[in-house]
Amino acid sequence: MRAAIEGSAAIARAVAMCRPQVVSAYPITPQTHIVEALARMIAQGELRAELVSVESEFSAASVVLGAAAAGSRAYTATSAQGLLLMTEVLYNIGGLRIPVVMTCANRAIGAPVSAWNDQQDSMAMRDTGWLQLYCADNQEAVDTTIQAFRIAERTELPVMVCVDGYVLTHTLEPIDLPSQEQVDAFLPPYRFSRALDPRNPISIGNLVTPEYYSEARHAHHQAILRAREEIIAADRDWAAICGRSWDGLLAVDGPPDARLGILTIGSVMGTLFDARQAHPEFGAVKLIKLRAMRPFPVAELIGACAGLSDLIVLERALSPGGGGIVGAEVRAALFEAPSRPKIHNFAAGLGGRDMPLDLYPRLLARIAHEAPVQFAIFDLEPERLPPQER
Amino acid sequence: MLTLTRGAYAKAGSSLELNTGDWRLKRPVHLHRDAPCHIACPAGEDPQAWLARVAVEDLRAAWERLVSANPLPAITGRVCHHPCESACNRAQFDEPIAIHSVERLLGDRALEQGWPYPLTGPGPGAAEVAVVGAGPAGLSCAYHLLRRGWRVRLFEAQAAAGGMLRMALPPYRLPREVLDREVQRLLEVGVALVPNHRLGRDVSLEELRRDFPAVFLAPGTGLSRTWSAGGVVPHDLRTGLSLLTEWLSVGALPAFSRVAIIGGGNTAIDLARVLRATGAREVHVITFQAMPGPGVAAHEAMSAAPREIRQALEEGVIIHDRRGVHRLIIRGERVVGVEMVHMKELTRAGGRREAVAFEGTETILEVDQVIPAIGQRVDPQGMEAVLGRAEFFQTDWWGRIGGHPGIFAGGDAAGRCGTVSGAVGEGRRAAQAIDAFLRDATMAHEKTPQPIGLDQLNVNYFDHAPRADAPIVPAAERSAEVEVEGGISAAQALAESHRCFSCGECMACDNCWTLCPDNSVLKARDHCVEGSNYVFDYDHCKGCGLCAHECPVGFIAMIDEP
Repeated sequence: MRAAIEGSAAIARAVAMCRPQVVSAYPITPQTHIVEALARMIAQGELRAELVSVESEFSAASVVLGAAAAGSRAYTATSAQGLLLMTEVLYNIGGLRIPVVMTCANRAIGAPVSAWNDQQDSMAMRDTGWLQLYCADNQEAVDTTIQAFRIAERTELPVMVCVDGYVLTHTLEPIDLPSQEQVDAFLPPYRFSRALDPRNPISIGNLVTPEYYSEARHAHHQAILRAREEIIAADRDWAAICGRSWDGLLAVDGPPDARLGILTIGSVMGTLFDARQAHPEFGAVKLIKLRAMRPFPVAELIGACAGLSDLIVLERALSPGGGGIVGAEVRAALFEAPSRPKIHNFAAGLGGRDMPLDLYPRLLARIAHEAPVQFAIFDLEPERLPPQER
Repeated sequence: MLTLTRGAYAKAGSSLELNTGDWRLKRPVHLHRDAPCHIACPAGEDPQAWLARVAVEDLRAAWERLVSANPLPAITGRVCHHPCESACNRAQFDEPIAIHSVERLLGDRALEQGWPYPLTGPGPGAAEVAVVGAGPAGLSCAYHLLRRGWRVRLFEAQAAAGGMLRMALPPYRLPREVLDREVQRLLEVGVALVPNHRLGRDVSLEELRRDFPAVFLAPGTGLSRTWSAGGVVPHDLRTGLSLLTEWLSVGALPAFSRVAIIGGGNTAIDLARVLRATGAREVHVITFQAMPGPGVAAHEAMSAAPREIRQALEEGVIIHDRRGVHRLIIRGERVVGVEMVHMKELTRAGGRREAVAFEGTETILEVDQVIPAIGQRVDPQGMEAVLGRAEFFQTDWWGRIGGHPGIFAGGDAAGRCGTVSGAVGEGRRAAQAIDAFLRDATMAHEKTPQPIGLDQLNVNYFDHAPRADAPIVPAAERSAEVEVEGGISAAQALAESHRCFSCGECMACDNCWTLCPDNSVLKARDHCVEGSNYVFDYDHCKGCGLCAHECPVGFIAMIDEP
């Protein structure tokens, strides 16, 4: 049934329908509404779960680590500096191969402090050994959250579901919430093969000597690569129940013979769809939505880019001194492709800067007249900087 | 070849094989130390220990722990000057625990519920000990002898047991009913009371020595010290104690208008308050001792309990402290006034201290009666053989009298304490000494107390909380017959027990267990000793000291590795 729901409330309802047994989080804008809604459901008896109040995100992550290791379905959510504070524990959860689901309500990182949206926070967690799925709208956020529990539990890997702060979390959209029966049919009760059991004590995350550490890292890497099949299967099986598919790892929209393409990640996709309709003068343009950042869908990307002469990679984070993060990965993935487009890598919308409809014509106009740039911040206004800083 | 499990899961104990304990330079040990309330208690109670049982809402267990030292808590909870509270570490944090109020509640609850003393009673053929004097020292000694399996015959000069509790404690401090019930219960556990038998009149010390293997003398102090002002004594002189006893037994006193009571002890203050309550217009107390207060050393201060002094002042008693009586002013045969003079305590050669009069500071007080209450001494009648020429029995800490094996003494007659709780303690210690004497055993040395101060606690774990003050009848509404101080409720007692810092004793808070970074504090109550609830895993403890630092009660000490 479709209803107008705030993104955070919809995500919380989706989480609740997955019947988590332990929820632990520390409030940080723009994640707060999600956990507040869950806390309210628990307080009102609508959700039977243990809500563990903690003093920091480090502890929140530690609680869900322990809970999931002990055999409870566990959920947390955070943003920005809160995510950074979790870093050590996120590596542990990844390395221990513990199925935990987290929502990252994407927000820019300080300093300077910004309360607004970009994706620097989750991009900084790229190497923690978590699966990362990015959502373009709140319906996708609901469906991906539900899928994330099944993916996590089948792969024994943690999943971070990334949603743009405010743009999604604080926005009302018409959303089709599934029924509890649909979710129950999709997501069986959590059974963890390595659950801690006091009757059969074990040690976890032991000291691993140089003879074995490389093997541990290799196994983790392979497990994440293999998770692609579970991501695709979860999307397919959920679509069979509710009728909506998000195209697994990567979604492509546009004619196969288009010569221009824009690859992006997160909620700006909706803006680009609308802008493309408003600007037919640019001809056929393929819009490529990267849903899975980890595992990175190399084969799907090569297929999506076949026939393109130019690909704009538009992202909302950067690696200072390096350039684009997604852009670099796209370049690396396409390097071995039989033919590859010219790649124009831009960041835009950093720290909550608006990404308006005219971004689309400006992007396309710029690449029509300029040689590809390695990386640039597209919507930069240099005159706001002193000359020596430009 | 070993293969790696997912997430590096491994058999339990694999990390325990690394005995990281050998990195340690210091080790934590459990160390019980004595709470200041315990060290301060003249009766030998350990209030920390029984408050811990109140805290788990087991009032009966608390009372049983209490009466393992003091069989008269309903009485001492009312009349004791509670030095435990003055010593309480919590006094330096906010306010001391209201130990006396909780003690009183436990004593009263035991009387209401009829809890029996946890005694097994004497075995068949157990020897019988003679106890002379059924005051608090004699009662305590009799009780502790029973606890140790001896039979007791208790000789009392008066018709009823109680001693000074009955003869000198006014009902506004100790209601008769409480006294009667507490004493009666103690007698009922198997003490053979022989009333109306005064040593030296109805029975002799020789007979007792012949008929009993051991004798405990606690006859009290039956003789008032002689008093005069410059050699002059009023013809109608009455002592404070005799007036107080008369009022308690007859219920009436001679009509005095303006009275000067000489002395700074409890008898002086009690009589002053009774006189005020029974209609004396002006009651003055003159003492060379100082009013207790900040900066006044204990040996200089009035020996009456500060609480009693405070209430006496509220009731209009006028106290002239650091004063001596220079002379009496007598018209005809009657006293019409006293001349007071300021006194100052000076230190003489050799450290001897002496109160000297300041000439020129004399003042006249018009009174129609002068009543000395300057203390008592042992009535030597029948005691000459062991008393000699002394005012009090000369005993050691255990009540033993040199040169008289088998004779023990305590209470007021030993001249050391002068308080009910002190007498209870002396009776208990003498019972221990008598037990050793009868068994021909050497006395075990009483452990030297290991005090624990506030600086050895971690009070960050305690919240400030107000003390439960007992209700006090306002001065204007008091009478000599009605108890001035009321009791606290069980809920208040519970709150007080939760205020207790549990100084030096594990209270199972789990701090060490929670905070140990190496999981080297184990909950293994079966293997615990010395009142702990945990054991240390020295194979893995690295000696960081967190547990000792974070122990709220100072129960963990770090010592050098042996």
